[in-house]
Amino acid sequence: MVHQQQLLFSTRGRGTFDISREVDEVIHNSGISKGICQVFIHHTSASLILCENADPTVRTDLETFMKQLVPDGDRMFQHTDEGPDDMPAHVRTVLTQSTLSIPVDDGREALGTWQGIYLWEHRTHPHQRKITVTVMGE
Amino acid sequence: MIYQDTLQLTDHGKGAYEITDLVAGFIRESSIRLGTCQLFIHSSSASLLIGDIADDATKSQTAVFMAQLAPSSDNAEHRINASMDAIPDDARYALAQTSLSIPVSNGKPGIGVWQGIFLWERRTHPAERKLTITVSGE
Repeated sequence: MVHQQQLLFSTRGRGTFDISREVDEVIHNSGISKGICQVFIHHTSASLILCENADPTVRTDLETFMKQLVPDGDRMFQHTDEGPDDMPAHVRTVLTQSTLSIPVDDGREALGTWQGIYLWEHRTHPHQRKITVTVMGE
Repeated sequence: MIYQDTLQLTDHGKGAYEITDLVAGFIRESSIRLGTCQLFIHSSSASLLIGDIADDATKSQTAVFMAQLAPSSDNAEHRINASMDAIPDDARYALAQTSLSIPVSNGKPGIGVWQGIFLWERRTHPAERKLTITVSGE
């Protein structure tokens, strides 16, 4: 059985947004109790990560790390039409994930206790982001 | 239903090659309308990525960034030993994807307007790469 649904999120600019609950709702709607859930983001300047959800400073630190790794306004970059965060957003996306696959068990997302699914907005301005969730199983 | 095949692709050496049309054709052939499509590359110095297709510069700039992060051994000193060419390539490989999954919606790749699927060849010489595509769904 296959169930597919699209979700829209309005981000508030650069940062991580917990979407675990929304993904779990799609799994619930699917009526599938065992299988796999694929989460896919339709953008090249925002991405997906699985991350620890207990202490928010983990995600602040990830942001700090990324800023150092891929500095905004780096003169190495030429693709800057949309600002200093334009090309870094694409690189950050390539370094993280556009798709996540998670197991579905007992009709729920089978994540670890301290794992959360996050949409990571890499642009500094707010954007609307589209995600497709596909649940397959029985 | 599952539809799978392994394809051989010949590239022209270092660079990103868009394979979105090839994947779309394969999904069409499978006649699966709803589900997921997994791509897997049987190589350790070429990988898969979803990139921006709006501006060609994004593609080359991603390569520039990766080259800085894991510098290439294009200089003469390293090229004395041909196998050394593989070391930075392997480092970059670890930063990219060997397998990539996308949703299948309405019998097509369910990806964003500005997203393209690329085979990313990192060896300087042309190579033949084996790609397995698995479409699952109904």
